[in-house]
Amino acid sequence: MGLKEDAMWAMARKMGMPESAIAAVKAKRAKGEPMPDTASIMKMMTKAGGKNEMLKMAQKMGMPPLAKGMDGKELLGRLKRLSQVATIKDVPQLTKALFPGTHCPLMGAAMAAGGIKDCLLVIVGTDECSYYTKSLTINDNFGGVGGRCVSVVLDSHDVTFGSSEMMHRAFKEMMEEYKPECVMLVTTCVIEVIGDDYDSIAEELSAQYHLPVMAVHTEHFKCEDHFPGLERAISACLDLMEEVPGNGSVNVMGQRMGNFSSTELYAMLQKSGVKIGMQLPSGCTVEEIKQAAAAKVNIVVHDIALPLAKAMEKRFGTPYVYFNKFADPERIRESYQKLFAYLELPLPQEVQELYSKSKELEAAAKGELQGVPYIYGNTPYDCFELNRYLCLLGMEPQLVQSNHFTEDNPDVADILRFTDPYVCKAANIAPLQYVYDVLHPYLYLGHEFDDRLRAKGIAVVHSDGAGAMLGFEVQSYLLRVMQATLAKAKQYRKEAGL
Amino acid sequence: MSLVRYLPVPSDRMGIIWSLLNVQGSIVLEYGPAGTTHYSMGLYGGLGIRFQNRLFTTHMSEDDVVMGDVTRLEESLIELDKNYGPQVIFVVASSVTAVIGTDIKGVCRYMQQEVKAKLVAFEQGGFLGDYSVGTSEAYKLLVRNLPKQDVSKHPLTYNIIGASAWHYRISSDIWEIDSLLKESFGLSRIACLCCNTSVDEIAEMGAASVNIVISCEGLAAAQLLQEQFGTPYVYAAPYGYQGTLRFLRQVGEAVGAAPDPMVMMRINMKEKGLGMLGMLRMMRGGNLQPRAAVKGEYDTVVGVSSFLEEAGIAVEQKICAHSLKNVADPAEGVVHYENEKDWLAQLRPLQRTLVMGDDIALLQCDGSNTKLRISAPFLEGALIASHLPFMGERGADFLLEIIQEYYQKA
Repeated sequence: MGLKEDAMWAMARKMGMPESAIAAVKAKRAKGEPMPDTASIMKMMTKAGGKNEMLKMAQKMGMPPLAKGMDGKELLGRLKRLSQVATIKDVPQLTKALFPGTHCPLMGAAMAAGGIKDCLLVIVGTDECSYYTKSLTINDNFGGVGGRCVSVVLDSHDVTFGSSEMMHRAFKEMMEEYKPECVMLVTTCVIEVIGDDYDSIAEELSAQYHLPVMAVHTEHFKCEDHFPGLERAISACLDLMEEVPGNGSVNVMGQRMGNFSSTELYAMLQKSGVKIGMQLPSGCTVEEIKQAAAAKVNIVVHDIALPLAKAMEKRFGTPYVYFNKFADPERIRESYQKLFAYLELPLPQEVQELYSKSKELEAAAKGELQGVPYIYGNTPYDCFELNRYLCLLGMEPQLVQSNHFTEDNPDVADILRFTDPYVCKAANIAPLQYVYDVLHPYLYLGHEFDDRLRAKGIAVVHSDGAGAMLGFEVQSYLLRVMQATLAKAKQYRKEAGL
Repeated sequence: MSLVRYLPVPSDRMGIIWSLLNVQGSIVLEYGPAGTTHYSMGLYGGLGIRFQNRLFTTHMSEDDVVMGDVTRLEESLIELDKNYGPQVIFVVASSVTAVIGTDIKGVCRYMQQEVKAKLVAFEQGGFLGDYSVGTSEAYKLLVRNLPKQDVSKHPLTYNIIGASAWHYRISSDIWEIDSLLKESFGLSRIACLCCNTSVDEIAEMGAASVNIVISCEGLAAAQLLQEQFGTPYVYAAPYGYQGTLRFLRQVGEAVGAAPDPMVMMRINMKEKGLGMLGMLRMMRGGNLQPRAAVKGEYDTVVGVSSFLEEAGIAVEQKICAHSLKNVADPAEGVVHYENEKDWLAQLRPLQRTLVMGDDIALLQCDGSNTKLRISAPFLEGALIASHLPFMGERGADFLLEIIQEYYQKA
């Protein structure tokens, strides 16, 4: 240890750490104290007048710059309360400059195309959009690096004179090499700015090559995140669907993560002998999309599939059940009831049993979770439905981050009966660090750095596991995770002196 | 515009951003849709770049695009300046702002009065060329804006110019150059454009005795520094033993000192050892007509090909991965293909060839070939080591091992 420390101090000197600061730390070490953490070292540096040198040294070694001018109270002062929000335009950003910012709708469209096995994804955009999307799709879903994601990259000539002619030429090459069942032409920001008409181009190509060519528009300056890309890619599949005789099956629409066959909902359908039809975008073929109208009912498990479900209802008369990842057991039971009513089948006995169990879990968790403050970030659950349920359990949302807000959402009204949290847009975690110091929540629901939050006495609730669940399992998983994480939070708060 | 089956060549904008992110003490603010910034994290992280609290986006709404409203940019500049207190904020255009013609330079000009940080605008949105053009622009703008004018010369110092984060194993190559120059002349480095450097280091660039330009993209910046500070420059990417010896002699001439004779002798002796490759060929009964294909950045292709030719290997394909816009007089045989299918067609038929290139290029060649990754992009693995160069004496040692492997296998 002595040798290691000597080497460390030698390095510190070499990098400009003042002697006074080194002496201060050494004196503390001599008294048997452990090595100070970064924050303590920074305080010592300030006293020793060597803060700038230390900062530069730390940044050279990889420490990110500190937001020394950021003030949590000031940040919160700029936010709105939920009661003040009527549309998404009312939801402010925590700061003007964002990091990392939201995902791109182009990524959403690529995710959707990944689930359609014989669909060729064609990105029409800049080198940059194409590069990142291709990198994202180098996986088994797309067939690896040489798989079914290609791009037609715009240059300045295309921006000035239009891209139609070159697109036709590139498309010919694609047809010769890839022989796809269908093609998804995904346009990006620049195409939408220059106004090339890719709906018409897709129609022309479709007629010329006798295969479905779908234009999907993914300009990010018109939307908040990647969900519209998923929604538009899924919705574009409507034109592939054919009038076919019914077969009593169900389609599962909107599942983004995991395998439907591992869900509780799937098990209930299997027990009742219900055939599963198209699973879009979690895994299907072009042929299954063509046959989708044979389903007796569509199960919509996320909002991204609502427009397609509504369009199918209009075109083919197929009803749909909205069966999101609900946290509230009442809603889960209601969704099961609606689904089996459409299927004209009796509700399985297990559904009632699962409902009873979930209510027991709820009663057991309620006392423990009562009054626990938290910040909501991003989860696989529906944002306002989950927050409403947590309010019902007695928890206290202090700040809710969301990029989506629909007018007259009854869940929002329910939340407001309990509390009026701050609201801001999501995907901007850098300034949140300063908000934690003001609000001191016990829990953070979403994606954050565990160690960083632990130092502030906050535990991160990791709920991504719910992404592959549907039914009462979603609620029981939530309560288990919340209780386990709350126990950690209590310990972390002690560590942080709160 | 053509069909791209694999990864497109990164754009000028990408080259600018990965260069600027290597300048500690600065912040990069992208004026454009947020998705691109979020998407880019994977690439920059893979290149070993640290961007936490250093890379930001304003995002853009339809109103901003239609009305040309720059309020977001103005407010973001004030906010970043106040919150992080950076020395410099680089404002980088996006493809959208480039197409709609946002005057980012103009905004930076009037906003300069509102902030303490120096504002430097980059209006390239991805349409002026590939990353080779972008990195060149970044180096030029940095040396125009950041070096202090009133510096006195520091003897025995140098800058490296043209070190791109995209260049495969760049940290190792810099380490090798630093080691060689320290051992041969006792020289120390001031700044490196643009790898793990800082605003403070760039401010001192004018003090250097010599600038070492290791890629064609750095030439224009070196010429600007010569005009501003009278600093001579040496343009050489030291690949192979002869290349390294030549490089040391060139630096020696520039700084007015002879390289350490022991270093020169050691490398000379290794260079002489190349003769044993002829023996290896003879042992194979003369059946092998050694040949190679090299794909990568211009100076890598030229340098590595030259070393292979010294080793008796005919380099039949010299494929430059980027445009040759920055190369005044390209070396004979070096070709850049605008269309991906053209370079794919060059590589796919290769048999019993020594192929050096990026992962996509290597994937095209079958198992009869001997393959070595020497350029980006790389698809598998991670970049961790900073002591495994391709340049310099140690780089030549390693390349020679691969050459021997090829002779044994082919």
